[in-house]
Amino acid sequence: MPREIVTVQIGQCGNQMGSVFWQRLCAEHGINREGILEEWAIEGGDRKDVFFYQADDEHYIPRSILVDLEPRVINNILASPFANLYNPENIFLSKDGGGAGNNWAQGYSAGERLYEDIMEMVDREAEGSDSLEGFMLMHSIAGGTGSGLGSFLLERLNDKFPKKLIQTYSVFPNAQEGDVVVQPYNALLTLKRLTNHADSVVVLDNGALARINADRLHIQTPSFDQTNQLVATVMAASTQTLRYPGYMNNDLVGIIASLIPTPRCHFLMTSYTPFTSDQPDKAKPNRMVSTSASKTACYVSILNIIQGDVDPTDVHQSLLRIRERQLANFIPWGPASIQVALTRRSPYMVTNHRVSGLMLANHTSVASLFKRILDQFDRLRKRNAFLEQYKKEKMFENGLEEFDDARATAEELLKEYKASITHCHSCQGAVESEHTD
Amino acid sequence: MPSSQLSLESLVLSHIPQARQNDALKNELILHCTDILNSRIGQATETDLGHLSELVKRHLAQTRPDGVSSLQFTNLLSRLLDQPVLARKPDCLLFLHALASSSRPQAARSSFLPSLAPPPPMRTAPNLLPTASVPSPKPKGKSKADILREYRIRSEDLLLRDTLYLLQGISGKYIQFSGVNNDEQSMQLVFIEDNVRLSALNKDEVSSGFKGHIIPAPTKALIHRLSEVGHLYTLVDTYVQEQERKPGIGMIEQSLCHHLQSQLTEYYRLIAVLESQMATSLKPSTADSPTNVMNDDSDIRLAESGLTLKRLDVWVNDWRLRMRMMSVCVKAARDMHGGALVNLIHSYAENGDPFVRRFTDQLLEEVSKPFFETLHKWLFSGELHDPYTEFFVAVDPELAHVQYIHPSGGFGQLSGDGGFGGLAGDNDDLSGERESGLRLWEGKYQFQKEMLPTFVGEGFGRKIFSTGKSLNFIRYSCHDTDWIATREKLNTTGDTLQYSDISGLERSIDAAYRIASQRLFDVFFEKFRLLDHLQALKNYLFLGHGDFAEQLMEALGPNLSRPANALYRHNLTATLETAIRSSNAQNDPPDVLRRLDARMLEYTHGEIGWDVFTLEYKVDAPIDTVLDPEAMIKYLKLFNHLWKIKRIESALTKSWMRVVSGTRVFIHLPELEHEWHQIRLVVAEMIHFIRQMEAYCQLDVIECSWKSLLDFIHEKEGDLDALIGAHRSYLDRMVRKILLISSKTGREETMLNQVRDAFTTILQFRDAADNFYNYCLTESARRDAERDDQRVSVPLTDQFLGGRYNLSARELQTTDTDLNITQGNPKQDQVLRDLPDR
Repeated sequence: MPREIVTVQIGQCGNQMGSVFWQRLCAEHGINREGILEEWAIEGGDRKDVFFYQADDEHYIPRSILVDLEPRVINNILASPFANLYNPENIFLSKDGGGAGNNWAQGYSAGERLYEDIMEMVDREAEGSDSLEGFMLMHSIAGGTGSGLGSFLLERLNDKFPKKLIQTYSVFPNAQEGDVVVQPYNALLTLKRLTNHADSVVVLDNGALARINADRLHIQTPSFDQTNQLVATVMAASTQTLRYPGYMNNDLVGIIASLIPTPRCHFLMTSYTPFTSDQPDKAKPNRMVSTSASKTACYVSILNIIQGDVDPTDVHQSLLRIRERQLANFIPWGPASIQVALTRRSPYMVTNHRVSGLMLANHTSVASLFKRILDQFDRLRKRNAFLEQYKKEKMFENGLEEFDDARATAEELLKEYKASITHCHSCQGAVESEHTD
Repeated sequence: MPSSQLSLESLVLSHIPQARQNDALKNELILHCTDILNSRIGQATETDLGHLSELVKRHLAQTRPDGVSSLQFTNLLSRLLDQPVLARKPDCLLFLHALASSSRPQAARSSFLPSLAPPPPMRTAPNLLPTASVPSPKPKGKSKADILREYRIRSEDLLLRDTLYLLQGISGKYIQFSGVNNDEQSMQLVFIEDNVRLSALNKDEVSSGFKGHIIPAPTKALIHRLSEVGHLYTLVDTYVQEQERKPGIGMIEQSLCHHLQSQLTEYYRLIAVLESQMATSLKPSTADSPTNVMNDDSDIRLAESGLTLKRLDVWVNDWRLRMRMMSVCVKAARDMHGGALVNLIHSYAENGDPFVRRFTDQLLEEVSKPFFETLHKWLFSGELHDPYTEFFVAVDPELAHVQYIHPSGGFGQLSGDGGFGGLAGDNDDLSGERESGLRLWEGKYQFQKEMLPTFVGEGFGRKIFSTGKSLNFIRYSCHDTDWIATREKLNTTGDTLQYSDISGLERSIDAAYRIASQRLFDVFFEKFRLLDHLQALKNYLFLGHGDFAEQLMEALGPNLSRPANALYRHNLTATLETAIRSSNAQNDPPDVLRRLDARMLEYTHGEIGWDVFTLEYKVDAPIDTVLDPEAMIKYLKLFNHLWKIKRIESALTKSWMRVVSGTRVFIHLPELEHEWHQIRLVVAEMIHFIRQMEAYCQLDVIECSWKSLLDFIHEKEGDLDALIGAHRSYLDRMVRKILLISSKTGREETMLNQVRDAFTTILQFRDAADNFYNYCLTESARRDAERDDQRVSVPLTDQFLGGRYNLSARELQTTDTDLNITQGNPKQDQVLRDLPDR
């Protein structure tokens, strides 16, 4: 009776991330590219059934649904050595194959059109699980498919499985203008759904990922694959406690519940560091999000997942040191401190680091990201640029209220984050409710 | 030659009494003597008196360089040459010189066998040493003084005879012991006059006559001194006799007796020699000399070899000390026993007097033999072979024959048992057998410090104790099939142990200790998989198998909310099994899973399942030596607390799903948004609290303690006691920290109670929040329906509702803020609970 998680990977970015993520999971669990457990993978202690299910013929099959509107990436996956890993029935390719043309509206309406087919897959996976814990969505919010179709699926999943968690791994666009001009529109429209329909969003930032590649790994022009390796590492680490159960954090809800006190401030930043030293506080974490932290920004919550051969007494000492020196700045309105989860590492992965750590943090500076999106959006919107493509779709036929609505949601989100910095967060609600009235 | 033939004959006759009857023997001996004489004298060069005197003088100058003695020698020599009686003066001189130059090796030999060889100086002294007290043995007719002397000698002969008796503890004719069989301390010596008895008032002050003659006081004193030896002899002899007759005396006493006996035999030999000397000295006078031809000669001999009281004193002097030592030992041995006796003797070994030291060493060597034999058995085979309880390890008679009956005969069978199903059946047997493990280990053998020989030292004593105990344990309690291997390993190190080789002994002890401890560790960790069990305890009772615990929690949760008496054990065990099957616990060895059990504690009326449910891990012999019942109770206690925390955590996560995730979807009551916000903050606070609590328990306490325990185990140092101690401190540390036991007496559980109260409050809050949620849900649904039905209808009196809940929500807030500090105000909780029902 595992707490299964069904992953849904949408669009070009989502599928690329997913592909690397599954390769990583296979390696960690000792499953070969055909889905068969390797003979040497006899060391127990892991739970493969959170992300895999076992077919009758001993094959481990990912609980994964691959969705894209254009065939290129999925075809690549199907041509890769891991082609046989996936359940072919769980791969959805739009028949016309035209993609979403980087248009949120196009992706969203494609979702409406393809709803039945995709939901059938989701239902099948959900029914195949004993006690489904939730969904994991992988997508980017800049393009068309990941953002538009992703937004649609978010709404529907939330509607259809209200008691299941939805966690997304969302790749946010670059700080600079990206290759897609309408990216601020797409991002903002998706942000509304992420805010309202997801339980937790792990924010990934292309820019930050590129910087890590450059600074730490010394790759100046990283390929998608190299960037995705980073993402996969983070995803694997954040699900480590689910797959290698220990005392705590053995279910997704436990992790999320400890990180997210209020429903909308659920955007999590991750930092990952393979450190060799024993002091987690001295290691330089590599943030996966580039935000401009202000002085007042603070942590709502922190969960450190430390993997590998670590001495609990060292962790204990480090935590004490952080507390004494107040190295971490926490919210003033509630109790908060660093939570630590020690977890085992896959015995099959060879790394040259004795210990590695992932920090999942709910930090108010993530709002600066939204602010940037909002600003970019405003700049485009002021000029009413590139709106024709959107107006073509049914959703915007009768006007662009959806844009305004999304903007209002983002604005509110910003406010809420700002409020959580201050002492009066607890009384903020009252003011807010008056406003929303 | 005939005269020499004759004197040879008399010599042979006097020295070898058998020759008187046996002519052939006599002739042979005489022939032999003649041969010797002929060969010696025949080879001798013509003796030159001048040369000889030079030789003697040189010899004297070497031995006594002061020159006085050589002067005296010249003086004596001239007097000797003046004597007309002696015919072969140079020969005499040669003989004396030969004696003098060969005297040293003889003296050395006499120290080894003091009773056999009469020291030659006694004979040579009168001639050679001017300090000799005996006057020159040249009777020139009988003066008055000579008669007196003769008389004295005669009377001294009688006294001598008596004294010899006295030396054997027998009363003589003239001198008697009185009160022999009564108090030994006040034994007296009685001198008996002819026909008149004068009993002595005091041992030392006795005056009596002797054949009308008064025994002079110095002689009496001398006899007193001599009789002390006899007295001591009696003590020792009595002791030996007694011990021999007594049944069941210890081996150490036995060997002490043996040693005493052999000493006494030596003593008898001395007396026999003395007696024979006395006999020769008395013979000429008593036998009235049919061959009185050599009267002069015999007189000389008498004076030279005869036994006097003084000489006796010299002879016996050595023995006096010995007897004293022995008698002290004997006295002590009456109330000492075994090792303590050895101890006592050992205490004499530290003595400056080399004689005492040597004597004691000999004695110890002898006496400690049985001790070392027992030690050897104990140290190398773990057997206590000590029929007379002399060893410093004592066995508890109650536990002496307790042997473990292995739960199901053999270990192989256990692991093949295949898990959980068979557990219910042998359950009772297991618990019934439980009590002994640790008790057996701790109680079976006792260390007795007072019986430990001091030359071993307490540190080593402890090591010996522990080694034997370990071996014994391995052998009898662990059913160690490799016992033989262990023993073989030990045998290579186990040389013979003895007192004289203390450093070798210490080496052997160290080696044996190391091997035994190592073996015990191996047996525990490799054969009985102690580490697996400890790990299992940590995984199951401390919820280290998180997925297992959650499965169990989920499956049992609804059941446990029911009253305790509605729970059925078979349901619990079935659920437990399901939880094992569906979690990673299924990968654990069957022997571990077999031991896992779910049951209810004893419950009283009104308790619900949560209060009484417990997991249990069953251990059996010999693991229960480490995991004793007391420790298991602690484990259960810890489980109880951790389980509670887990329960609260799971309740709060569910609650979070509702208030954070759920409200977003279902509830559209904007006017209550603020209340929800407050609830969420409180829930977040509670989640934080409980998770910190949990993390503290798991990370800071359990993992850290576990690590130090593992460190100990990997070091593999120390014995089973150390292992038990390490485990105990591991457990105690956790009990102290997890249960937040305060060091203040009387307030140990204050903190724990506060935490428990907080738990209760959290659960109450959860219920209240659930009710609020349900209320909002129905209200929301109602409004939705209303909106759907008729959008024209009057909206709900928002103002009224909002006002009302704002008020209650404030109460709610105040309740929650002081949640962590004290328990919730029941009144406010009541308000909370009643709230949604209105």
